[in-house]
Amino acid sequence: MGHLFNRAALALCCAGWLVATGPVLAEEAKPEPKPLKLTTTADHAKFKELQKTFNSGPEVTKACLACHTEAAGQIHRTKHWKWEYLNPDTKQTLGKKTVVNNFCISVASNEAACNSCHIGYGWKDASFDFKSEENVDCLACHDTTGNYKKPSGLAGNVVTKDMEFPPGSGKILKAIDLSKIAQKVGKSSRDTCGACHFFGGGGDGVKHGDLDSSMSAPEKELDVHMDATGLDFTCGTCHKTSSHDVAGSRYSPTAKDSKGAHLRGKTDNGNPATCVACHNNAPHKSVARLNQHAGKIACQTCHIPSFARGGIPTKMTWDWSTAGQLDAAGKQITKKDAKGRIIYESRKGDFTLGENVKPEYVWFNGNVTYTLITDKIEKSDQRVPINKIGGSPSDGKSMIWPMKVFRGSQPYDPVNKTLVTPHTAGNDDTGYWKNLNWDKAIAVGMNTSGHPFSGKIDFIKTEMSWPINHMVAPKEKALGCAECHSKDSRLAGIQGVYIPVRDNNKLLDTIGWAVVFLTLLGVIGHGAMRIVTARRH
Amino acid sequence: MKLATTLAAGVALSLLAASAFAYDADWKRGRVYYRSVCTSCHAVQPIGTINPSSKTKAEWAAYLKADKHAKGKDTVKQYVSKAYRASIKSGNKAAEKFADTPDQELLDDVAAFLTKGAKDGDSPASCN
Repeated sequence: MGHLFNRAALALCCAGWLVATGPVLAEEAKPEPKPLKLTTTADHAKFKELQKTFNSGPEVTKACLACHTEAAGQIHRTKHWKWEYLNPDTKQTLGKKTVVNNFCISVASNEAACNSCHIGYGWKDASFDFKSEENVDCLACHDTTGNYKKPSGLAGNVVTKDMEFPPGSGKILKAIDLSKIAQKVGKSSRDTCGACHFFGGGGDGVKHGDLDSSMSAPEKELDVHMDATGLDFTCGTCHKTSSHDVAGSRYSPTAKDSKGAHLRGKTDNGNPATCVACHNNAPHKSVARLNQHAGKIACQTCHIPSFARGGIPTKMTWDWSTAGQLDAAGKQITKKDAKGRIIYESRKGDFTLGENVKPEYVWFNGNVTYTLITDKIEKSDQRVPINKIGGSPSDGKSMIWPMKVFRGSQPYDPVNKTLVTPHTAGNDDTGYWKNLNWDKAIAVGMNTSGHPFSGKIDFIKTEMSWPINHMVAPKEKALGCAECHSKDSRLAGIQGVYIPVRDNNKLLDTIGWAVVFLTLLGVIGHGAMRIVTARRH
Repeated sequence: MKLATTLAAGVALSLLAASAFAYDADWKRGRVYYRSVCTSCHAVQPIGTINPSSKTKAEWAAYLKADKHAKGKDTVKQYVSKAYRASIKSGNKAAEKFADTPDQELLDDVAAFLTKGAKDGDSPASCN
């Protein structure tokens, strides 16, 4: 018995020694630490479901949805998917599917080209199934490789085998490796949002003016928040997204944010993408006078002194009425300016471009009313507003805002008095960009969008306003006082507010200064008399 | 020819083996470093800016392997090193931001950006 006890005691001692020395031994061995990703909790490269060849976009989506079961349903509720939005204030049905603009004009009948920027696969015409889950394109927003591409003309589909497109053109579209891309998915970035929003209107920087590819990794001078070596904001830092619904749309902008800085846990925080949502309503710490300015002037007005500052020009005008010219051989022509930038194309007409453009300024209360295809328009000296910016100095809701105002001339129906939706893109007999025939292009386009067309065509002058929000300069580069408080004020066109220096009256100024001078003279004279009389005593 | 094929296959295999454990290069960080640090000097003539898209993937790989900067006067690696970053960080925000990044990781990042942005890369890129 005693023998047995001794043995057990020895075994326990040995076990204890092992337990005690185990970690020390392990520490001595110092195994290499496992590579750890700190930007995500799931390394998608490790998922077997993604370690395979994918022959189409929807195949990838199916793999995503196997785990992310609710994602497609969430996407289905958004503007990014529906391209449709009911403005609760104006009751207008908007969205890319419906609105008409003065760039490439409209989506209807041009889906195969335009919808390379839709976050879905296969929207080529009205038959697209908006309930399909597998046609949701996860990679458009979640690619991190920068190699995910959706070429124009393929209805939002991707190329997984090299192909000639358009057929017979000799141009080869290179295949992308969906497996590699799927294994590297991550959060959305300036690059993913920018893949569409930098290139709106058919090219880099064309549409917005404050969004172009220079914003993919900008320096501080260009954007103080997105500065790649500084704060490094992504789009989502401000456009805070929940349930896949991205906040801060231009369809219903917030012109005056009186809710103040957002607090965690508060439920009625409002639009997270405004300046005020972080900076509050009185952000100027050292000069209180500037906070008074902030009651009437949007932050953007002073803090975005000009747009298209990143070296990429933005389109400022587009005249469709001059499209259709051919050279002596009957071929389409392209004209370029001294810098090699396109300023005329047979299929599109004349353009002008701008860099470092000073915005135009207007009173803006957040109400935007679109001129839709169903609205009547009249040809006159006044341009037809594609989107009418609401606001006045006295409604209590307006602020002075900077705008890019894009002016153009576009086809319309002079009999029905409406804008029209031409069929432009497409490798077919009726696409304007191929055959330069407005009659066919507009007839087909209007038939597709489902609106009457008289057969008569004329051109009408239009303008579209784009509130400027991005390319916020460092505070040292904000506008100085004299930019507005001078005779050639930036706010020359702003009515309903007294702006010192801009609005001064010479007679009033002379009287005022005379009063000051005479008062001074009186004080000095009185003082002198007192001194003289004091000496006498 | 056969020898060359065998050699190429060997190189490819060893690369694959290495990449199984290698650091996962961040092309975006490479983009920022290339554009902020490399371009900041190269903007000046006579050499001027060098767009990633001005060379092929193979040319960039050969350039980085040879590691000869300014025709061999110094090395490429030197300009990605912590020591170099420390020397310029007072005037260069990218060098300051990535001051503590391991040399090899940053070199891999820059290489990833150059490969991606090469003439025959997935997204030919410019320097700004």
